[in-house]
Amino acid sequence: MTEALVVTGTNLGVVISLALIAGGVIWLLVRSLKGKEVERRVIFGFVLIAVSAPILFPITFHEQISPVVKAVFDKIESLPAGSTVAISFDFDPAMAPEVQPMANAFTRHCFAKGHKVVFLSIWATGQSLLTSTLDTVVRREFPEKRERIDWVNLGYKAGNQGVLNVIVSDLRKMYPTDVNAVPLDSIPMLAEVKAFRDLSLILAVGGGFPGPKEWVLYVGDPGNVPIAAGAAAVTAPQLYPYYPRQLIGILGGIKSAAEYESAMVDKYPQFDSVDKPGLRMMGPQTLAHMVIMMFIIIGNIVFFRSKRMRSQL
Amino acid sequence: MKRILLTTTFLLLLMGVASAQADSAAPSPPAPPTGVKAVDKPNDHGHAVNISWDMSPDDGKGANSVVTYDVFRWIPAYMDSVAQIRAGLSGIRDTINILDRANRKWSVLEEHLTGDSAKLANDSVVAAQRIPQLRADLKRFRQVLASAVERLPEAHKTYPENGSWRRVGTVPAGQGKYSNVGSKEYEEPDYLPDFSDFYYRVDAVGVVSTTRSSSEVSAPVHSSGQWFNTGRTTVLVFVLAFGFLTVLFVRKARAGHDLYVRPLAGIDAVDDAIGRATEMGRPILYLLGAGTAADIATIASFTILARVSKKVAEYQTTLIVPCYDPIVMSIAQDIVKTGYSDAGRPDAYKEDMVFFITQSQFAYVAAVNGIMIRDLPATNLYMGKFYAESLIFAETGALAGSIQIAGTDEVAQLPFFVVACDYTLIGEELFAASAYLGREPLLLGTLKAQDYAKAAVLLLAIVGLLAVNVGHEANVEWLMKFKELFKVID
Amino acid sequence: MKRSTYIVMAVMALLFAVSWYFKAATYHGNVMSPLVAGFMITLAAFLTLAIISFVYQDNPFYKFAEHLFVGISAAFWMCQSFWSTIVGNLIPRISTGLSKYFGQPYRDEPWNFVYWLPVILGILLLLRLSSKIGWVSRWALAFIVGTTAGLSFIRYLRSDFMEQISSTMVPLLAAGNSGESLLSNITLSATGPFVAMLTNWVIFLGVICGIVYFFFSKEHTGLFGRASRVGIWILMITFGAAFGYTVMGRITLLVGRLTFLYKDWLGLIS
Repeated sequence: MTEALVVTGTNLGVVISLALIAGGVIWLLVRSLKGKEVERRVIFGFVLIAVSAPILFPITFHEQISPVVKAVFDKIESLPAGSTVAISFDFDPAMAPEVQPMANAFTRHCFAKGHKVVFLSIWATGQSLLTSTLDTVVRREFPEKRERIDWVNLGYKAGNQGVLNVIVSDLRKMYPTDVNAVPLDSIPMLAEVKAFRDLSLILAVGGGFPGPKEWVLYVGDPGNVPIAAGAAAVTAPQLYPYYPRQLIGILGGIKSAAEYESAMVDKYPQFDSVDKPGLRMMGPQTLAHMVIMMFIIIGNIVFFRSKRMRSQL
Repeated sequence: MKRILLTTTFLLLLMGVASAQADSAAPSPPAPPTGVKAVDKPNDHGHAVNISWDMSPDDGKGANSVVTYDVFRWIPAYMDSVAQIRAGLSGIRDTINILDRANRKWSVLEEHLTGDSAKLANDSVVAAQRIPQLRADLKRFRQVLASAVERLPEAHKTYPENGSWRRVGTVPAGQGKYSNVGSKEYEEPDYLPDFSDFYYRVDAVGVVSTTRSSSEVSAPVHSSGQWFNTGRTTVLVFVLAFGFLTVLFVRKARAGHDLYVRPLAGIDAVDDAIGRATEMGRPILYLLGAGTAADIATIASFTILARVSKKVAEYQTTLIVPCYDPIVMSIAQDIVKTGYSDAGRPDAYKEDMVFFITQSQFAYVAAVNGIMIRDLPATNLYMGKFYAESLIFAETGALAGSIQIAGTDEVAQLPFFVVACDYTLIGEELFAASAYLGREPLLLGTLKAQDYAKAAVLLLAIVGLLAVNVGHEANVEWLMKFKELFKVID
Repeated sequence: MKRSTYIVMAVMALLFAVSWYFKAATYHGNVMSPLVAGFMITLAAFLTLAIISFVYQDNPFYKFAEHLFVGISAAFWMCQSFWSTIVGNLIPRISTGLSKYFGQPYRDEPWNFVYWLPVILGILLLLRLSSKIGWVSRWALAFIVGTTAGLSFIRYLRSDFMEQISSTMVPLLAAGNSGESLLSNITLSATGPFVAMLTNWVIFLGVICGIVYFFFSKEHTGLFGRASRVGIWILMITFGAAFGYTVMGRITLLVGRLTFLYKDWLGLIS
């Protein structure tokens, strides 16, 4: 996983917190071996330290891209410039820290390759998060990309999978206008896009209902359009059966987002300076996972030890 | 007149020779494609034609001079008149939209932005006056267009008079087919009328777009919609087969046939757990989850509750059933009461065994956790729909030292139950358990039908695997084509 | 209320005021006024802390934040549904006057009964409120349940059933589409033929054994029982993976919230 550990800023904080965690874990082990109960608040405290330290003293890793993620990256790379790609924002603020980094990376990648992008949302809460991506990524980093020529924002439509069922064969029936009430027929980049099955690729970013699964069921399979998923970690395992035939690739959770961002920087060094929340979050993530794994190990040691003691009695 | 014609012909000929001499390096046109065939696009709602042709001898081989194929359709001049009406219609619609915008409430916002309030006010007045008239015009145009469109099939019959060839599509060299797909709405510019004689021609085009040669004209073709999409036949077969099995087994179960369902470890554990509670003299906690009475998981849970309450009544243990949904509560009360009656102990039933707490998720969790800690039930049973509360329940129950048995069809919650409970009925097992205990014909019949469907899947997967792995080597035709059966074409 | 409660409340109010003052004083953007921005960030931070405080124990601040959240989300969804479904989808199709009133562009389409059907069914649903004719709402419910079930049944049958069966038909010996012989090239690379073949075996055995486990018409004994054991193992591995992913997801959310607290609220990191 870690190719190179890049420690930015002072690493003193990390060292201190690592020491604190290590010491604490040993104390925990000793205490629980003695048969004393550990309060759950102590465990929460450890997780808090493990997560906080790398946020305050950032550490970043270089991520090796895994095949499931690479498939999505390669697909966007291989489309001829000028292809029309849709990015669907089907998530809410509670899911945003996980999946918005993916949506932002997809947006950057599509624009860097010169694709045209259709933004939409089938979650009511996705609309405002979509606007924030437009403000922070599209308008700020790609001022030369013009609305309705290089990208269009279709906004939110109510109707869940019903919307998908219609737009796969007729986009204008559900979306007669874009989000600013401009008729789709007067939008140049959508002249050739009569339905979502005319698209070159759909990037479904989300994790609830409706989400990537519904995109596969209602658009990908019947319309024969390649779909790639950017999924919240909780739902990612349920999407794997669709890979690689019905979903060309899956980004599951922040780890995949970080891999994608790494791959982006490798291919397009100009994105080295932009904010990479995926990579930024992997530091806290790694430390927290280490702490949790320690707890699992301690828990098991105590469990088997007490079992043996009971059987000896 | 005759003289003018002759002179013109002569001049044209001269020009032709001259240009040929001046441009002697210009390439000769590629050989034309042959065998142009046009057929109605199958399995669609009409308004589309598939065109195919044998590629030009100069495509890829020969002189290798074909760059693209242009597909032409003969279009009657009448189509242009229809297009004019259509243009008028959309012009009116656009005007209404623009005026409507000026008239809209949020033009107040625009006023704020532009500061030109007088103009906007004026626009608004104009709009209010003009829109009704325009809407009347729109209606009139629509009627005219509708009747004009009806005459399109007739206009196509005049071929080759009163019309012209127009390009409808271009495909790169090396391809021999094209789909001319139009809109089904006649208000759309690319409307393609059904049941009209369409004639197609394909040109092989060289590097210079003027060096082209045309094929023969195809036989006339009509586009039309089909009632049944043959590409989805397999889906229909599966739907019918599964529907048939379900009806068959539900009828069998109703008729009293003995349908075997294997005993499940979780169910045996329920009996043991009730026994354990009796020995310890502690109560049994039964949760029906956060689902409504209409959820299948809740219905399955009712059946299990019926069994549990009967056992509890027999063993004279205490039962606690806190509910999340008032309707679920009233049904559960009935069930427990019946259970006690069936066990022959209606006197032991108390109204407050089954009670309502709240419909606020975490308040419910807090209340149930309180019960777990205070009453220390020997056994906790979680059957039904559970959401984020699953782990909190299971964890608190484990801390309280209770034996825990869970069952849910919420896939996302299963891992939490699996780690924190002693037994978990995974997904369908919950329904199977319910069918096993309740022998309710609908549940039992569906379960049986599903079992047969699963057996079919097993069989198909194994045959398919054989097909993929040995089909080609054994050279058995049907094995090689087996996987194709599962392809659905839209 | 106890005296200590008043003291805690007063301290919290004071902290809130201090945070508001400092956030307003340090606000540099020009999107909203500093006073509003300061209030927003402070409120967001306090609500975050109130919710997180639940891990210590249940308390009034947590309850307040939870109820606020429940109330706001209920209202939000009600407004959203009204504006996006009724105003956004229905009104522009059925009424000129109402479209004008709600500031929506009216869609001049020929009269179509299909758009009136949901209006009728919607009214039928509302009749539930009446105890006398409440039963007619079942027609609308039956329509909703029937159409949703029908629509989903076909889609699921195709994507989750047929496509999945066909995905199980994988080559078990010569893996991959390159068709190269397995023995000529044994590597442990994730994209190599050996790993691909292993993956195919796992898929095949996993599907078969998983189905066997959920087969209820035969007792799990002998070979059948062994296959079912493998099936339950594969299920458990899947649950483990799902659990791991969930932990990752939850930690990410925590990182997101803590980043907000440290960066946007406290300004500890840039």
